[in-house]
Amino acid sequence: MSNPAPILLVGLGGAGCSIVGRLAPALPQEVKVALIDTDATTLQNLENAEVLQIGRALTRGMGTGGEPAVGLTALEADEPQLRRILNAYPLVVLVAGLGGGTAGGAAASFAAMATEAGATVLAFATIPFSHEGERRKRQASEALTKLAAKAHGLVVVENDLLLMQVPADAPLSASFAAADEWVAGSIRALASAFMPGALVPVDSASVRSILSQVGSPTLFTCGHGEGPDAAKLAARAACESSLSYGLGTTAKVGSLFVHVAGGEKLSATEAFEVVNMVRAKFGGEVTTLVGARIKPELGDRVEVAVLGASLPPPPKPKPKGKAGKGGKVVDDQQQIFGFATEESIRRGLFGSTPFTFIDGADVDVPTYIRKSIRLATGP
Amino acid sequence: MKKKPLPALITVIDIGTHKTVALVGQVINGKARMLSFSERRTDGVVKGTVVDLDKLHASVHEVVNDLERVTQRAVHEIYLSIAGPSVEGERVKGFVAVPAHDGKVTPRDLAEAIASAKRLEPPQGRMTMLYMRQPTLLDGRAVANPVGLQGKRLEVNFWRITMEEGNVRFRVSMVNGMSMHVREFILASHAAACAVVNDTERQGGVMVIDVGAGTTDWILYYKGHILCAGSIPVGGEHVTNDLSVALRISRDTAEDLKLRFASALHRPTDLNQTIWKDGNQGVGDQQFNRGTITQVTSLRFQEIIEFVRKDVVRNLEQIFPGHAVKFDQNFLPSGAILTGGTANLADAVEATQTVLGLPARIGQTQFDTEALRKPEYAGVVGMMVAAIEDAPPVVRRPRGTFDWLRDLFRF
Repeated sequence: MSNPAPILLVGLGGAGCSIVGRLAPALPQEVKVALIDTDATTLQNLENAEVLQIGRALTRGMGTGGEPAVGLTALEADEPQLRRILNAYPLVVLVAGLGGGTAGGAAASFAAMATEAGATVLAFATIPFSHEGERRKRQASEALTKLAAKAHGLVVVENDLLLMQVPADAPLSASFAAADEWVAGSIRALASAFMPGALVPVDSASVRSILSQVGSPTLFTCGHGEGPDAAKLAARAACESSLSYGLGTTAKVGSLFVHVAGGEKLSATEAFEVVNMVRAKFGGEVTTLVGARIKPELGDRVEVAVLGASLPPPPKPKPKGKAGKGGKVVDDQQQIFGFATEESIRRGLFGSTPFTFIDGADVDVPTYIRKSIRLATGP
Repeated sequence: MKKKPLPALITVIDIGTHKTVALVGQVINGKARMLSFSERRTDGVVKGTVVDLDKLHASVHEVVNDLERVTQRAVHEIYLSIAGPSVEGERVKGFVAVPAHDGKVTPRDLAEAIASAKRLEPPQGRMTMLYMRQPTLLDGRAVANPVGLQGKRLEVNFWRITMEEGNVRFRVSMVNGMSMHVREFILASHAAACAVVNDTERQGGVMVIDVGAGTTDWILYYKGHILCAGSIPVGGEHVTNDLSVALRISRDTAEDLKLRFASALHRPTDLNQTIWKDGNQGVGDQQFNRGTITQVTSLRFQEIIEFVRKDVVRNLEQIFPGHAVKFDQNFLPSGAILTGGTANLADAVEATQTVLGLPARIGQTQFDTEALRKPEYAGVVGMMVAAIEDAPPVVRRPRGTFDWLRDLFRF
């Protein structure tokens, strides 16, 4: 492939642009960056970045005001420019905050457009904090369902869960840095797979083969460890990360891509040990791709990133999904892999029971989640 | 009021979200001797609401079989507890102007006042279950028995308990289906109070919080009478659920960890403790930080008590409109008494004291069997006490399923 940058990282909407904007300076050469938004003020001027303001005639450079319909119209209005940007990238990574109007409305169509252009689309979607209100939550979950059907892979980042990962007294910037780290971990790992000079190289086509089909349930997790047992610690951190969204302990995926990066001391044995631990946890019976890389600057630190996907469930002869609350069809298969229905993860054992509202809050959701209280870390 | 000799046997059944408990007692000289006791896991009830009638039927049937096997006698009539979100209470009033020439209240005046209080129909789709007596006022003064006293205006008050009609209907038909009939319904929180609160405390002012598995029921006594009662659809199951979500473990494991390590207070020193899931440190054993567990459980428990506090304050504002009744120790000198299974949570008393700002204690039943002196059995033991105390009126065999229900008016 003649294109010098095989990965296109797209920030869509205000939240997506700000994550990508913060991420961009730390990215390797192999990643091309594009920022797309309706709001002119969020579009920063980055070096080597494509910046596109969509729907200029529609919103006159302002935001969408949280209206998904406006976001969608804006995207459709500027379709030719988008197609030009999307041209000839094998892998498109889309970062979008689904609570707002631009990303909430346009993310699914954008993913469809990129797929038509021949790219494999991996989407990172952030779900707004629960204290941002019911409307944004509902918009986000609607947008998520649409996006899941269009993107090859979808990784959901729950802002609420992210908040619990950082210490209670951490500055605001640290909690957002946690979100960045999560997305960046994956992108770095993917970019590394394409870079020459890896200990165990993989070619880009095989990474694409993991996310071969649109709508595959996706797993993403990452972790790092330091010290003498760094590789094991990193693998364990990745397996037990609470952000590896909604995956039950027994849920397995068909294909796995495991990327291990470490200092000069990292041996192939250690790298494969990591892969074995990850496989034991997440499966990967169909294909397991291993990428390993030595980065001298890491010292005794080891970083593990895992991307996995299953083939989407075959269409059933008649829809077996139970009608959940409000007639929404709940697909069992999707719940296992956690396409972020709020009910499935937050309500736990009360998942299928009617909501219980006290003072406007669903009290079946654990108190610590509703109050956004960070829990003490594990043992 | 006519009194009929009590039946030789009293059977009480308390159907909870987690377990169904039943007692058969023989009444001798106003005291019950326990003949039989049964406890079974309840199926088909979630958050105090019945979701699977067949399963529930099977659970209750097992309990009744247990009782009959031990007592060697058939159970014909039972006292059944009512609790949960479908039960609601409100104050109803009846007035009468005392017409007599000498201004003395006659029994007839009293009956008229009571009739006028009970004339008010419950809202559509709800059924009156119980009337519980509240202070009788004669010219604004509270009197125990107004008959024969001088006065102009007689006011009687009741705390009327209503329940969704469908909910009552299936309870009754379930019991009838086992060839028994419900002699009386007893409010579960009132029953718990009967077991753990004495008259002095009730006179001063006390509240009982029955933290069950699916629901938390509370009742408040003031000047010897029930003042108000309520229910919140949150309970011990939610504590378990929170743990299972937070630690990503199964429900049973969460329940086990809750019983062993949970607490209603989170202390920073808990963070230094690491606990094992099974304790044998074998294959599949997992380590958890005790601090995480106490954090999750304390947040939930304290929130439950906070919900109760809000509910009480809301009720008090309705009862004493305009008067700023402070919900503090001056108002309730005897404070709060915790019953129900979740009251076994470590430090529940301290947490309740902190949240409510009232003295608190765990309700111990004064029952002769050691095993039943636990807060989770306060409900069923109290039902027995209430059943004896109640001095039940003549109960005719029901003509129809509902006719007799309307005859339940009494005080």
